[in-house]
Amino acid sequence: MSVQDVEMDTVDEVVDAQKKAAEADALVLADLKQNFVLLERAVATFESRFITRVLRTAASIRKRLNAEILSQAIRDVYPRDAVDKRRLLKFLGKDSGVMDVDSDDTTKDNPQVLPEIDLYLHLLVMIYLLDKQDYYQGILLSNETIHKIQNLNRRTLDQLSARIYFYYARFYELTEKLAEIRPVLLAAQRTATLRHDNDSQATLLNLLLRNYFYYNLYDQADKLVSKTTFPDTAGNNQQARYMYYLGRIKAIQLDYTASHMHLNQAIRKAPQNTTTAGFQQAVYKLSIIVQLLMGDIPERSIFRQPVLKKPLVPYLHIVQAVRIGDLSTFQETLAKYGDVFRKDKTFTLILRLRHNVIKTGIRMISLSYSRISLRDICLKLHLDSEKDAEYIVAKAIRDGVIDAIIDHEKGFMKSKENVDIYSTNEPQSAFNARITFCLNLHNDSVKAMRFPLNAHRKELASAEALRERERELAKEIAENDMDDDDEVADF
Amino acid sequence: MSSNSTILYNNLKKEFNSQNPDLKKCGDYLAKLKIALSKMQLLLPEGDVKNTEELLIARDILEIGAYWSVRVKDIPSFERYIAQLNTYYTDYSSLLQPSQAMYPLTGLNLLRLLSQNRIAEFHTALENIEPEQLLESVYIKHPVHLEQYLMEGSYNKVWNSRNEVPAPEYLFFIDILMGTIRSEIASCSEKAYSYLPLADAATLLFFNNNTNELLNFASERGWSVSQAEMKIYFTTKDDDHVEIPSDSIIKQALHYARELEQIV
Repeated sequence: MSVQDVEMDTVDEVVDAQKKAAEADALVLADLKQNFVLLERAVATFESRFITRVLRTAASIRKRLNAEILSQAIRDVYPRDAVDKRRLLKFLGKDSGVMDVDSDDTTKDNPQVLPEIDLYLHLLVMIYLLDKQDYYQGILLSNETIHKIQNLNRRTLDQLSARIYFYYARFYELTEKLAEIRPVLLAAQRTATLRHDNDSQATLLNLLLRNYFYYNLYDQADKLVSKTTFPDTAGNNQQARYMYYLGRIKAIQLDYTASHMHLNQAIRKAPQNTTTAGFQQAVYKLSIIVQLLMGDIPERSIFRQPVLKKPLVPYLHIVQAVRIGDLSTFQETLAKYGDVFRKDKTFTLILRLRHNVIKTGIRMISLSYSRISLRDICLKLHLDSEKDAEYIVAKAIRDGVIDAIIDHEKGFMKSKENVDIYSTNEPQSAFNARITFCLNLHNDSVKAMRFPLNAHRKELASAEALRERERELAKEIAENDMDDDDEVADF
Repeated sequence: MSSNSTILYNNLKKEFNSQNPDLKKCGDYLAKLKIALSKMQLLLPEGDVKNTEELLIARDILEIGAYWSVRVKDIPSFERYIAQLNTYYTDYSSLLQPSQAMYPLTGLNLLRLLSQNRIAEFHTALENIEPEQLLESVYIKHPVHLEQYLMEGSYNKVWNSRNEVPAPEYLFFIDILMGTIRSEIASCSEKAYSYLPLADAATLLFFNNNTNELLNFASERGWSVSQAEMKIYFTTKDDDHVEIPSDSIIKQALHYARELEQIV
């Protein structure tokens, strides 16, 4: 008896689970249908807002997607014997021939599929293949899709094609064939620029930069950046990426101030949630090194953020070594975490830090001693010879790291009195920099505001009405005045 | 590849690898070969080419050309050869056997950038090289270390590195570098010392006790030499009076006023 109960229960559970799955599938299908409607509306009204909304649901749909749902949606959308339908179903591993029979009547009123919907389905299938890690199929499909996009010239497609290019490059990256698609991307970038297709332009530029970086071709990346303009209207995500890439190029070229600025922008533009953890980590890693190279010490709080804490541990050690100015600790850390840095592609940048460590060391010494022999400096900094120490100190003096003088004959370094920084123009220029930043921020936020279309018309109309009323009022007053005058006259 | 250019190539190879190569003759061969290469579109190959044999020969010719430019001390020509070789080294790396001369030439190129003080390009070029090679290849290690010494100011080590060059061609660029270093040291000394005895100045600036050269150098930089005390005095340019930067302050204030006006 009880055994039967249990069996019944499990059967129930299975049925329940099946039912739930079916419900969930139905929900996804409904979502997809909703998206198709939105896409149609976007085409009808030329409003890119609706497409943005469709693409925003991509992440949630992606999680719930399966071959069943997709093939169902495809069957619903395409007419009976469409070529695309067969192809897409084949990519999903579904046999289209048999299914056609059951669903032929649902598609009667759908003679022509909108290219937007067509490409949206292509995109979904690509995402599905990516999640299934079926990269070679993905490459085949994305090649065909790209070919399709290039034959179409519709502004409502811009955002969709940007996404499709992204996944196209992603497939090639995962199969390590990125170099092959460079000409295609370059050509697409050119077309997108000519058509003022800002979304594709931004995405393609980033893809190209990523492509170059993958092979360490910083020279070509730099040339690409100098020859192109990144569209201002691109989405925040693409802008954040672009800023990160720019920061990278500038860091390689030793332009640390510019690099730091770009990286800061990237950090601010990137969404602050756990899904972008990878990007945030990458940006912070680079930003920390760049700050060190500029002679700054990054804030301690960066290393405490939950998303960043663990991956940044090696960098924390580097920062500590630089802060103390201890060359041997620095070398130890470098040896210990060398592989991590090499993987992060920050190794060569960190190698450059060596002389920053020495500089900090010298600065510490000059602050704590008013007079110290070159031999002691040499010992403290673990340098090879006294002669080296002398040259290094001389260079530090010239570069303005310390304010001191060397007595060659007696072999010591004598620090000069510290200048009071508040008697110089330094505070003023620091203040100026902050004011400029705030003003720019204000101006940018004004520019970034969105105004509803034709909203001023309404105001204009009411202003018109107001003026009309005023005129009437004035007229009345004037008439009253006259009346008053008359009355006065009467008195 | 036509038989004519094959003969030229063999001649060039024979001449260049001989004990005392006639550099002028090599130059002639190179000029003719380059014309032949450009006719075959091998000077800057594009797309999926062709038979790898021709590519290998073309690469070989360009490599000889690069070495030849260093021997005749023609830096712009060296730069051109390297730019052309880059196509072979990066874009066709999957097709061709890695070249023996690749790392020596890359190292030479790094050294050239260093001697011309093009540090940003130096680092960009460095990123192209695999990290293992940075630590292992003697040809690459040499310029990398030089750059480090230069940055931290260990000029002594830079000077000594002259004796440890991995290939004789490196000396050409290192000699150029020495001139740069000497002026670097001089500008450091001006700031770091108030005076220096002549003998010490000579060792610091690597003049090997050659007083005449030192005196010439001192007068070039405008140092005052006191023969009686045997010392060089550096004129300290410590201007104590601080100028009030009125111009820039006015500009800033006007800028603030304009911006505030826009906000309100």
